[in-house]
Amino acid sequence: MLTSQLSHPSHPEPLPSPLELANMSRFCAYLFLPACLLALAVIAPAMSDYALEIGFRLLLLITLAEAWNLLAGYGGLVSLGTASFVGIGAYALTGLVNQADVPFFLAIPAAGLAAALLALTVSRAVFRLRGLYFTVGTLALAEALRMFMVNYSGFGGASGLFLSVDPPGLLELFWTALAIFAVTSLAMTVATSSRFSILLRAVRDDEDAAAQIGVRPFRIKLIAFLVASFLMGMAGALQGLKVGAVEPYGMFGIQWTVNVLSIVIIGGQGLRAGPIVGALFVVLLSELLADYPALHLAITGVILIVVIRFAPKGLVGLFQRRPRAAGGVQ
Amino acid sequence: MNSPLLVADGLVKRYGGVVATDNVSLALGRGQVMGIIGPNGAGKSTLIGLLGGALTPSQGRIVFNGEDITGLSASDRARRGIGRTYQIPRPFLDMTVRENLLAARFSLHPFESGAKARAACDAILERCGLADVADLNGRDMPLLRRKRLEVARAMALEPRLLLLDEVGAGLVDSEVTELIGLIQSLRHDVEGIIIIEHVLRVVRECCEQLLVINFGKKFAEGATSEVMASDEVATVYLGTARGDGAATLPEDKILDRLDMSKPAHAAAVSGLVGARGVDAGTAVPPMLELLGVHAGYGQARVLNGIDLQVRPGQVVAILGTNGAGKTTLSHVISGAIRPTAGQMRVDGVDVTGAPPHQLARLGLAQCMEGRRIFAPLTVEENLLLPARGVAASDRAERLERVYTLFPDLQKMRSNGGTSMSGGQQQMLAIGRALMARPRLVLFDEISLGLAPIMMDRLYEALFELRQAGLTMLIVEQDVERALELADDVHVMEHGRFALSGTAKAIRDDPRLRHLYIGTAD
Repeated sequence: MLTSQLSHPSHPEPLPSPLELANMSRFCAYLFLPACLLALAVIAPAMSDYALEIGFRLLLLITLAEAWNLLAGYGGLVSLGTASFVGIGAYALTGLVNQADVPFFLAIPAAGLAAALLALTVSRAVFRLRGLYFTVGTLALAEALRMFMVNYSGFGGASGLFLSVDPPGLLELFWTALAIFAVTSLAMTVATSSRFSILLRAVRDDEDAAAQIGVRPFRIKLIAFLVASFLMGMAGALQGLKVGAVEPYGMFGIQWTVNVLSIVIIGGQGLRAGPIVGALFVVLLSELLADYPALHLAITGVILIVVIRFAPKGLVGLFQRRPRAAGGVQ
Repeated sequence: MNSPLLVADGLVKRYGGVVATDNVSLALGRGQVMGIIGPNGAGKSTLIGLLGGALTPSQGRIVFNGEDITGLSASDRARRGIGRTYQIPRPFLDMTVRENLLAARFSLHPFESGAKARAACDAILERCGLADVADLNGRDMPLLRRKRLEVARAMALEPRLLLLDEVGAGLVDSEVTELIGLIQSLRHDVEGIIIIEHVLRVVRECCEQLLVINFGKKFAEGATSEVMASDEVATVYLGTARGDGAATLPEDKILDRLDMSKPAHAAAVSGLVGARGVDAGTAVPPMLELLGVHAGYGQARVLNGIDLQVRPGQVVAILGTNGAGKTTLSHVISGAIRPTAGQMRVDGVDVTGAPPHQLARLGLAQCMEGRRIFAPLTVEENLLLPARGVAASDRAERLERVYTLFPDLQKMRSNGGTSMSGGQQQMLAIGRALMARPRLVLFDEISLGLAPIMMDRLYEALFELRQAGLTMLIVEQDVERALELADDVHVMEHGRFALSGTAKAIRDDPRLRHLYIGTAD
C-alpha cells in the first residue's frame, strides 16, 4: 500500500474493501508466508553467522510477540507474565534433556505443554481479575515465580542449570526457530480468521455482553491463554537450548515481558502484521545502536511514547486507515 | 404445554443495605408480551438483570420453561433461550455489525456452516433495518442504530424469551411505529417478550399484561388498559401523560404557583441566570446567531445552511426526526464541531471555530445529550466543576440555588454522580449547566429515556428558569412539551430548517405533523 501511494501521489487509489483486505491476508497466510519460510530454510546454509544470529533473534521475538498479540490484541488480556512462560519453557527443556535424555525435537513441544499447564493452573485465579487487575496479577505471578526460582535450590537456585549435552549449532537452531515460527503463524491464522476469533473479540470488547448472548467467556479466554502460553513456552525452550544454560534472572527476567510488549505496541496491537513489523523495527534499531546501549534504551522509550500518543494502532495501523477517515474535512 | 414460560418467585436483590428489588414475583405465559413500567430508579433494569442472569438474586427463584435457572450464569441462560438487550447499548465496538451477530450464532452453533450462519444473521439485520451497515464497526453506529443492534444481537440467539430494555427511547413517532411493527412480528418467533419502556405507545400497543414497579416493589399488575387507567399509577408514573397520551402541561398553573405561593423559590432560581433577559429590541444584537452554517463529518454533510437567531430572554426549540441534524447543530453551537462554512456569532461577535471552553466563558452552557455525568465524582463535585475559580461564597450560593430548584440533588449530594436514577441524573446535568451562571443554555434531549412523570418535573424546572429570564435553546423529541415552553420553533429536515415560526403558529401548521411524522421527502 505504501508503494502504491508513493507512485500515484496525485490520484489516491480507493481503499481496498474489507473483503479484498481479507483475501489479501489470506493469500499471504496460505501461500506467501510458507513460500518465504521455505526459501529462508533453503538459503540458510549459505547465510553468514551474523545473519543467522539476527534471524534467530528475530524469529524468537516474533513468536513471542505473536503469542502476546493473541492475548492482548485479540483477547484484551494484557498480560505482564510473559517471562513466566518463557522461563518455564526453558527450565522444562533443560530438565527433560538432562534428566530423561529426551531429544530436542520432542523436548521443545513438551516444554510448550509445561507452559500451557502453568497457564491452566493459574487460569482460575487470574481470570477472576479483569482489565488492569489482570495485568497486575500476571506481573505478580511472574515476579513470584522468579523469586521462587532464585531461592529454591531444587532447580539450581540463583546460579541455574547447565544443559548436559552440547547445544545444537546455529544453523540447526535457526531451522528450529523457523519451524516454531511456522507453527505460530499457523496457530495465529487459525485463531484470528476463524469463528473463534469472533468469539474472542466479543469477549475482549465486552465480557458481560458476550455472556449475555451465550458466549462462555472463561472457556474462550482459557483457550487463548493456553495457546499463547504453549507458544511462549516453546520460544523459551529454544532460547534455553541456544544458551545451553538456564538461570532465573535471565529466563524469568522482566526484559522478556517488556521487549515483547514494546514490539507489539510499536508494530500494532490486534493487527496480524503488527508483531512482525514491530520485531523487525526493534531488532533493526538495537543492531544500529548496538554500540550505544544507553542511547538505545532512551530512543526505544521515546519511540514507545510517540507511537502510543500518535499511532495507537502502531506502525501497521498508520498504513491501515479506516475508510471513514479517508476523506477528511473539506 | 400450558405451563408458563417464565416464573419468578419472590425475587430480592440487595446491594449492601439497599434493596433494589424487593420481593417481586411474576409469571409470563407462552405467547404473552408483558410490559414493565415504573419511575426511573424503580428497579426495572435490575429486574431484567436478574432474569437475564447478569445479576444473582439475594433471594427467590426463577423457573424458565419448567427448569429452575436461578443458579445459572448469564451464558447458560442465553443458551437456554433467554435473550436480553441493554438499556445503554453495549455493542462489541471493534467488530462489524454482522460479527456482533455472528458471535451469538457461533457460540450457539459452533459447527454450523459459515454461509448458513451468515445468511441467518443477514436475515435478522435486514429485518431490524441494519442491512446497509452490516460491514461497519459497532463503534461507528449512532445511539439509535446501537439500540437496533441490541435487538438484532439478541435475536441471533434464536431466543424463546426476549427481554427488551428501553429499545424505544429517543425515537420519533414514525420510528416508534416501525418498532411496534417489529415487536409484533417477533411474536411469531419467540414464545414470550418482556418489555421495559417509557414510550407509552409501545406499551399500549404491544403488551397485554403490565407490571408496575415502584421503589423495587410490585406496585400494580394487570391488563394493560386497566393499569393505564388507574389513578395510583398516574400518581407514581404517568403524571400528565395519562389520558390521550399527549403531554399537556398546565403551564398557567405552574406559573401561578411560582408567582403567588413561592416568591422565594423564584428569586432563588433567578439568581442562577447570568444576565436577565431584556426586551428584544433592535438595538441589542442576538445573543447567539448562526449565519448559513454548514457542517459535517468527513465527506458526510449534515448541516446545509442553518440560519438561527436567539435573542436575550428567548426560548427557542429545535425539533426534527432522528438524523435531521439536531445533534450536529448542538455540537456546532457548543464548539465541538467546526462549521465548514458560515458564521457563528455571540453578542454580534464572530466566534466561528472557537473551542468549547471559550464559548463557555462567553456564558454559553450546555446540557448534553446522554447527560454525561462524571461517574467517579459525587453529585456535589459534579455540580462544583463549572464553578471552579468562583469565590467560595458565590459558589455556595449557586449550589444552594440549584438545591432549591432540585431538592432531590441535595439529598443525594454525596452519592456517586451516576448512582442515581435517570431522572435525578438529568436534574444533575441541568444543575451542572446552571452552576456556571450561564446566559444561554442549550438543553439537548433532556427527556430521553425518562418516565413521563419525571419529564413533568424537569419541564416544571425549565418553566421556572424561563420565568427567571434564562435564554434557552432546546433540542427535543417531545413536540408537545417543546411547543409549550418555546417562543420560537424551528423544525429541521435534511440539515436545514424546513419550518420556522412562533410556537403558536407552528402548532397550528399542518406541515409540522407532515414533517415530524416523517412522510415528507
